[in-house]
Amino acid sequence: MLPWAPLALTAVTAVMVMVPITPALYELWKRGDASPLPTSRHDARIANFADVLRTRLEPLRAQMERCRAEREVLRTSLAGMEILIVGAENFDFDPQQTQGISTLMFSDAAHIPAGQVVDADVYADGPIDLGEGAALRAAVGNDDIILGKNSTVLRWLHGSGNIYLRPGSSVYGRLSAGQSIRLERGCAFQHMHAPQILTIDSDNTRTLATSGAHVCQARKDSQEDPENAEMGDIFALSRPRLRVEGDFVLPPGETLNANVIATGELHIGRGARLLGSAKSYKDTVIDEDACVHGSIVCGGTVWLGPRTFAAGPVMAESDVLIARGARVGEPDAPTTISSIGANIAAGCQLHGTVWARVRGTIEA
Amino acid sequence: MLLFRAILLLICIYTFRHYYFTFNRLFAKQRHPYVDLESAAWPEITVLIAAHNEEAVVADIMKALLEADYPKDRMSIIPVNDRSTDRTREIIDAFAEQHPSIEPFHRVGGKPGKAAALKDAMTLVKTEVVLIFDADYIPGKALLRQLVAPFFDPEIGAVMGRVVPLNVGKKCLTRLLDLERSGGYQVDQQARMNLHLVPQYGGTVAGVRKSALEAIGGWNENALAEDTDLTYRLLIAGWKTAYENRAECYEEVPERWPVRVRQITRWAKGHNQAMVSYIARTARCPGLGWFERIDGLLLLGVYLMGPVLLLGWVLAVVLFYTGAQIGGGLTVLALGAFTTLGNFAAFFEIAAAARLDGSRQRIRLLPLTLFGFIVSLISVSQAARQQAHESLFGNLFGNHELVWDKTERSRTAPVLDDALSPTAPALRESV
Repeated sequence: MLPWAPLALTAVTAVMVMVPITPALYELWKRGDASPLPTSRHDARIANFADVLRTRLEPLRAQMERCRAEREVLRTSLAGMEILIVGAENFDFDPQQTQGISTLMFSDAAHIPAGQVVDADVYADGPIDLGEGAALRAAVGNDDIILGKNSTVLRWLHGSGNIYLRPGSSVYGRLSAGQSIRLERGCAFQHMHAPQILTIDSDNTRTLATSGAHVCQARKDSQEDPENAEMGDIFALSRPRLRVEGDFVLPPGETLNANVIATGELHIGRGARLLGSAKSYKDTVIDEDACVHGSIVCGGTVWLGPRTFAAGPVMAESDVLIARGARVGEPDAPTTISSIGANIAAGCQLHGTVWARVRGTIEA
Repeated sequence: MLLFRAILLLICIYTFRHYYFTFNRLFAKQRHPYVDLESAAWPEITVLIAAHNEEAVVADIMKALLEADYPKDRMSIIPVNDRSTDRTREIIDAFAEQHPSIEPFHRVGGKPGKAAALKDAMTLVKTEVVLIFDADYIPGKALLRQLVAPFFDPEIGAVMGRVVPLNVGKKCLTRLLDLERSGGYQVDQQARMNLHLVPQYGGTVAGVRKSALEAIGGWNENALAEDTDLTYRLLIAGWKTAYENRAECYEEVPERWPVRVRQITRWAKGHNQAMVSYIARTARCPGLGWFERIDGLLLLGVYLMGPVLLLGWVLAVVLFYTGAQIGGGLTVLALGAFTTLGNFAAFFEIAAAARLDGSRQRIRLLPLTLFGFIVSLISVSQAARQQAHESLFGNLFGNHELVWDKTERSRTAPVLDDALSPTAPALRESV
């Protein structure tokens, strides 16, 4: 054996050990990634983006007022953002004026012509009117917002008043309103929130056919009568828990005061009332005129039949299908519908948040 | 030889489990069924803060909870001061004077231990949903709602959030523990959630449904690990534990190796105690699916795998030098598979977790986690040996009384100013 062989073997072994260790020691020495992992920074409010834009633009308010008074268009920059302040009416979105602009700030109403594509964020101190077939990156308005037929918003949209979505219009990302959102047939959404969300046949609400006659009775009972106080409380301590291996059916017209868990499908019959919450590992079907006063949690698809009522939340690991006249949540008790996809018929009344992770549609 | 084969089989099963969880996290559909819950009739909740001599940290968690984005009229905070001998009581009382939502519970006697303290504090709890934090945790603004959301599911008895180390940059040990925690939560816990298996209730950054707790007899004050104990009692009684990966909360991890050794020894003893208590009941529990049952059993045995692995190594050396035939092709295949894949299963899991967390540089520390692994292996083996000894000779030497064997804190003063949010950059710089 050669005299240097053991030395060579030792050296090679040392090198092989050091190959993976060296980057580790380097990282320990240089501390390139030694800060704590970031955790959630915001409070999950849907209007966060809109609030941030409003706050950023606040220093320009005086300039905006001046532009409004003098009916002029002013290009300025703020913290690296190129901003166009529009005080003039009938702004024509001249490409030379809007080139390189990241935010359009309207001192009053913003009228976006049909077919116009706006790749900047829009702030309007008044209403926003998006023309037919127009497309917008994101917008916040201090009044009502109307989206014309087949128009599109790509990131987020927030209005302090009401938002109207004409047939075929789409809002990807976040859609929120201070008062109400009214969606007509063929509209698409992903994540929306408002105290009142109405799906309508046309731009009036007369077509709403939700059954309000019996659905809130348990809640009213609980508010008016202290003895029934726990009836309207999802977390009532006294409510029994019913676990069923397989399918569960609540027969038509029956009333059950229990939290039900079914490892199969769950079916609430026509006109039946479940005063507690319902969970199914597979699909959940709520037949017409039935109501669930607690939450609905489903491993599959939830079908809410015509004129049904769910106090909510409604959480489905697949889709939520809502038939005409159904109602989810109440004006003074908003709730959440959460699913992969959602299909909502015209004539429904929802209160709170609707999350369709992939795509939500209003029946065409 | 039979023992050696049994050990090989066990190691292969756990190796497969590591890989299955990791691949599930990397490539399969992820389940976050409660994460979208924004609007709801949020229930009244009680937040319990377990505190025993926590003068350095208890102010931070109370400040953070008071800033939480949860309806103030629906939340009460009960700091559970268990026989503290430092300024913990004084600090809690000062907060309580300023904030009516804080209702202190000062415990001056009774059985030692967190479970016993929580059990006594439950007499003050009037709400169905109870959240539990250790005093050294710093919850973010949205955390309470994230932890409460799963309770809208009537099957959920307990909820567990994700623990994120805050003092990562302090020492080599804290950086290794940061990686280890990532693997445990980002991969193990979330994969169990995805696969409808048995996510573990961890005792802090957690919640429990009061009616479920009462149905299973309340906190078990004789449990060394009340969290594992609760997980299995709920499971056997037909309740589920939900894991919320996005309900993240900062914690302080041990900065010294002896502290880490004591911590993992305590966990191992508690877990092994739960294994002895619940393994048979889990195996024959009628309401469990087969995969859930198997996962429950494997989770119970996880701290036993340390001594089993050591025993396997010793047996392998003995069998090699005695020239014993280790078996046919299957055994050789299993050995080969283990040496090529099994050795790296846990490390693969950590690497996947670091990738999922979006961190790029810290993955370089992966080879050093071997040292942490060896320390843990020895500690849990030592714990198992002590427990075996105590169970054999316990009557001879008498049973040990439970103590508050809490992890030593490295923070010496509050890090949150009144104006600071829990996630403010200044906080990070301060650690």
